[in-house]
Amino acid sequence: MGVDWRAGWPLLAGLGVAGFCVPKARGGYGFEVAAAVVASQELGGALHGSPYAGLIASVHVLAGSDVDAPAELVDGILAGERVCALGILNSAADKSGGDGITGVASLVDGAATADALLLMAPSSLDALLVAEPKAWTVDPILPTFDVSRSCGEVRLDHVPALRCSGGTSALPLYRLLLAADTLGGVERMLHRTVSYVRDRHAFGRPIGAFQAVQHRLVDHAVRTRAMSLGVAEAARMLGDGSPRAAREVALAELAVSSEATHVLHDLVQLTGAIGFTWEHGLHHYERRAHHNARLGRNPRSAARSLAGFEGWLGRRSHER
Amino acid sequence: MNAEPAEPFREEVRAFIAARAPRLRHQEGVRVPQSPDEQREIRRWLRELYEAGYLGAGWPAEWGGTPDHHPLHDLVLMEELFRARAYRPLDQVMLASHAILAFGTDRQKADLLHHIRRGEHIWCQLFSEPDAGSDLASLRTRAEPKGTDFVVTGQKAWSTDAQWADMGMLLARTDPSVDRHAGLTAFAVPMHLPGIEIRPIREMTGSSEFCEVFLDEVRLGPEHVLGDLGGGWAVVTSGLASERAFVGANAVQLEMMFGDLVSLCRAARIPDGTIAIAHEDIQAQLAAALSKVEGVKLIVRDTVERILQNEEHPSDGPLAKLAYTELNVELCELALEIIASSISVDAAEAEVVTRWYENFLWSRALTISGGASEILRGLVGRQLLGLPRDS
Repeated sequence: MGVDWRAGWPLLAGLGVAGFCVPKARGGYGFEVAAAVVASQELGGALHGSPYAGLIASVHVLAGSDVDAPAELVDGILAGERVCALGILNSAADKSGGDGITGVASLVDGAATADALLLMAPSSLDALLVAEPKAWTVDPILPTFDVSRSCGEVRLDHVPALRCSGGTSALPLYRLLLAADTLGGVERMLHRTVSYVRDRHAFGRPIGAFQAVQHRLVDHAVRTRAMSLGVAEAARMLGDGSPRAAREVALAELAVSSEATHVLHDLVQLTGAIGFTWEHGLHHYERRAHHNARLGRNPRSAARSLAGFEGWLGRRSHER
Repeated sequence: MNAEPAEPFREEVRAFIAARAPRLRHQEGVRVPQSPDEQREIRRWLRELYEAGYLGAGWPAEWGGTPDHHPLHDLVLMEELFRARAYRPLDQVMLASHAILAFGTDRQKADLLHHIRRGEHIWCQLFSEPDAGSDLASLRTRAEPKGTDFVVTGQKAWSTDAQWADMGMLLARTDPSVDRHAGLTAFAVPMHLPGIEIRPIREMTGSSEFCEVFLDEVRLGPEHVLGDLGGGWAVVTSGLASERAFVGANAVQLEMMFGDLVSLCRAARIPDGTIAIAHEDIQAQLAAALSKVEGVKLIVRDTVERILQNEEHPSDGPLAKLAYTELNVELCELALEIIASSISVDAAEAEVVTRWYENFLWSRALTISGGASEILRGLVGRQLLGLPRDS
């Protein structure tokens, strides 16, 4: 967990985890969203420090863009030697004239240690690559809540950037992987809590025998199954290029962002005082789930998005 | 889901329902015919469903089944019946036919099955009692052996359709001295026998779906015993597992309910004269409901896929039922909250409001009957999570 993740990253990248959404011609596996989702779940469950969602989404854009992104950057990312972080430019600062970009991206996971930065402009599908490390400044987001990864606010002042097209799937992919990360944590913690209540005895029997404990865990298992099937379905549709993919991703985001912290916070209750300790670690997943919702979709923005897809907004335009 | 191979069949079923289903006034939760005419129509409809091979196709060929029957077709039929809000055969009809097929003697099969296929025998269940609901095995109705006969005395409750059923599947205690499950025997009981008295119970919906059935020294012969003496528990539980893929039709039901929720929000006017759906807070509530609906639909479809591939886990059915019925209650509560916050509903959608009121009241029947949510949570806790029994 935490800062040292890059030391082991080339090993994981060697297994192929960085290349699931990179075309085969560029050395990846194509567009295997479901595989990337599984990897993200596992990394979330392991509280891994990498900015995996942003890395996968950005290398997907870089390798698929019709503009020639620096080949050694893509190769380096696939090998796990280089890292590209993903940011979304604040709308007010979306200036990318001839003299480079000037602006702010408020929440960028892994910005401080990344070798490159892909910035999505909120109003268009274009992305801007800043391949020169140290060309941007990063202010840490305070107060720090998620301690398993590092996130910062990125500022750019007349920084040269390469415009890349073909980023239509980048944001849905990014957000879906963040939801998968949260889901992976919830699944692992649910499993761990179930084991715990089987072992922990009180009043002469395992606490998992008490209905007050058992029934809540079952409800959480039902919620988790719905989340997990929703994320898998969204991954399948996004991978297939289905026109319904964006809606399906929003549904998964809404389910995960509105249920995950609730489930995790109740797992602390069901684990009792030991769950309240730093060492037990449930809190790490709560922190991370909250942060994922902030980076990607929170219930409010996912609901707005769905309202657009469902045509509830009247004549006002939908957000994508 | 593997829907494509079923598409031509679906079209065919849809056309059949449109042409042949009885046109009864649909009230959510009400299944008992309200007049002799309705009763005739329902019997005619059931007969036609069997004749057309839409029902009973999974039976052995010698009893009228189709050898190349695909279980997916059972699901498609049920989905389309839901979609058309048409009369659907009740569980107990299926339960009876499965119990007869699995446990009946050749004589019983020959005597009983053709009546079911012709709509001549409506079956009811005589399982629950005033003091034995979720804990069914504690039932006290006695079937006392007298020579080769049995004399049945006791009181049954919550019997759907008993007021017009021709046959009842009875679970009674034949031996009080052994283990409570082992002492139970199943019987196929003609409902017109002397000593049987049926009293419909008026429910909170205002209708009378369920009945109390009093059995006062009802004399049954050995030909009425279904399965082994003392083997009644296996008979009723095996039947309950039949047509498991029907659980999939709940996905259609949820889809339709969500459609009703959106229609309601487009037609309900809040005090300032605007429609409910124009408000961001209502849209947020709708989105949250939609995300839950889609989640439970995925759970239901996932369950069906495993059932069709014979890979289901024992907890799958209970989990799907728990998820579906609890969400059903939640949707009804949301709909009533929206109706409560409105001063009027556009006349074109008045029917939707009626449906929500009916659904709201009926929703509690679904979380109590066929495995109460509390029982299902215990079951899923033990079977899926491996948690210990609370004892």
